[in-house]
Amino acid sequence: MSEISLKPFDMNDIFNTLNLGVCAVDADGKVLLWNDWIAKHSGIKETDALNKPLDQVFSEPVSPSFLTAIKNTLTYRLPVVLSTALHRSPLPLHNISGADQQPTRMYQSITITPIQSQQNESCCLIQVTDSSTSIKREKMLRAHSEILKKEATTDGLTDICNRRFFDAHYEMAVADAKRQKYPLSIFMIDIDYFKSYNDHYGHVAGDDVIKRVADALKSQLSRATDIVARYGGEEFVLVMPNLPQEVAEQFAEKLKSAVFNLAMPHIKSQPFKQVTISVGVCTGIPENNDNLLNKADTALYQAKVKGRNQCICLPLCEAEEYLEQ
Amino acid sequence: MNNLSELHLDALAEVFSIGAGRAALSLSEIVGDEVRISVPFVQVINSKDINSTTLSLNSGRFGAVSQHFSGPFNAEAVLLFTEEQALKIVSDMMGSQMSLEELAEFEHEAMCELGNIILNACLSAMADILNFTLESSLPDYTVASADEILQRLKANSNQPYVMVLHIDLAIEKRHTAGNLVFLLSSASLDNLITHVDQFLGKIS
Amino acid sequence: MPVDSSIKKLLIVDDSKVSRMLIRTHVLAQYPEWIITEAVCGEDAIAHADSDLPDYCTMDINMPGIPGTDAAEQILSKHPSIKIVIFSANIQETQQNRARSLGTILVAKPVTEKSIALTLNYFADSK
Repeated sequence: MSEISLKPFDMNDIFNTLNLGVCAVDADGKVLLWNDWIAKHSGIKETDALNKPLDQVFSEPVSPSFLTAIKNTLTYRLPVVLSTALHRSPLPLHNISGADQQPTRMYQSITITPIQSQQNESCCLIQVTDSSTSIKREKMLRAHSEILKKEATTDGLTDICNRRFFDAHYEMAVADAKRQKYPLSIFMIDIDYFKSYNDHYGHVAGDDVIKRVADALKSQLSRATDIVARYGGEEFVLVMPNLPQEVAEQFAEKLKSAVFNLAMPHIKSQPFKQVTISVGVCTGIPENNDNLLNKADTALYQAKVKGRNQCICLPLCEAEEYLEQ
Repeated sequence: MNNLSELHLDALAEVFSIGAGRAALSLSEIVGDEVRISVPFVQVINSKDINSTTLSLNSGRFGAVSQHFSGPFNAEAVLLFTEEQALKIVSDMMGSQMSLEELAEFEHEAMCELGNIILNACLSAMADILNFTLESSLPDYTVASADEILQRLKANSNQPYVMVLHIDLAIEKRHTAGNLVFLLSSASLDNLITHVDQFLGKIS
Repeated sequence: MPVDSSIKKLLIVDDSKVSRMLIRTHVLAQYPEWIITEAVCGEDAIAHADSDLPDYCTMDINMPGIPGTDAAEQILSKHPSIKIVIFSANIQETQQNRARSLGTILVAKPVTEKSIALTLNYFADSK
């Protein structure tokens, strides 16, 4: 149009000065336009890109969703948005931060719109913007919130999960086990004669025992799905999904031995004269939120009655029989 | 418009269920998980009667993605979701541990894309089945109350009827589910019905 | 035209009347002598398969009641000789795999000459 030539600028200069990537492909996916911004960030010169299929211009692969989007725009003539959030980096474009630094892959926001060429061909226009800065902001926010989250869910003394975290986790773990129909094991643990320990050795020493027991319990866990939390005072709770009953029983024995092996003297604890724990376990496929925790608590009570430094395991159902024994 | 038959509605429902299938395919490629999208029903409602109650939208803030279409008929399509649901869907699609507040940073663009995927899928299904093509603007995203969004939609078109689709979307393994409302309002919705008639004419 | 074994029975399963009409119209255009029955949901399809003993069946997935793929599985376990094509708008990988594991194929909607041709070729090939 003559209108454009009347403008005070050469449109080509504007096209190449834009602080965003502009490229166009024809109906066969061949490159028709390639501005300086794209050339700079791809390291591919305009002359090397023109008339080549877009996916073959780059030496690295282009994301499949980008290619699908181009195909859809060419077929249905509908515009497409590829957001940073869902795609990160569809095209192999890079940012060069310093002279001696490795180029980093650029996060991108892309829009693809149908456009008609002057020969009336169906083409599409691709616009790329750099969203690296907003991603950086996102990463900082995320790191920051993870620190806050850790503080809100960790027990200050022992550095294991706190009661608040346990309550939320327990509810989810029960819901998952219920839905996927696998067993869940709850271990309730209590340090034997802890009150006498505090009375005899003092609260500072008492805190140290709590810390060392927490560490010993934690060291027994290896799966990402398992958690140990401080339930209250000298009580701990472990949540472990998907263990057969007999494995849960063996594991309870391991916890008991781990604490016993710390060999911390406790003159007021008979007959071992050292710090021991009692463990109550309940394993089963949950039906009702309260069952597992209540049964584990019942088991813990039985372990105490049986003389402490004991493990008692109850299945979620048939618990009645065990109680009668 | 008053005399839409069962068959018209059935044909539209089928068109949109194919659109939903295509959208589900695109979304599943992004999330790497099965996505279920279904269109339980299509309604045509007198625009006087459109409000948050008739659409069973609760109060609170909604995200609305809209695109303007032009061609054999001009239309504005709006996809409505509660803001909370929208963020949950996007966070699942991103597969990250981000909290909902942090996601707000990406909400705008990601919601545009989500809406764009669903709207384009429905439009491409219409194009393939009813045999017409429409040009479209890029998606816009606004957050407002349902009534504000509906008010604006009504002001923009002087058509007495609005087509309403209820869409259920669920991401299988992540237990995320949402109901979206798709509104198509047009000063020439009759033209769409003409295309449906032509299509039905070929098979009955 | 031979009247014997070339007359096939086809069961169309789809909750959309328009889809059933489309499939019927396209199939009859090529095989006017075929006998076509219709079912509107998976449960209905199982009953029809038992009573009509069709040679072929097209099966939608998303329908009220049980999914079409489950219905297909039940039909095939009782009548392994029925050739079923899963004809659906839901074409995600999980559904493709499901169709494959049932020993059938999944054909993407919409119902067009092309998708019907795929379906009819599959029927013809497998007998």
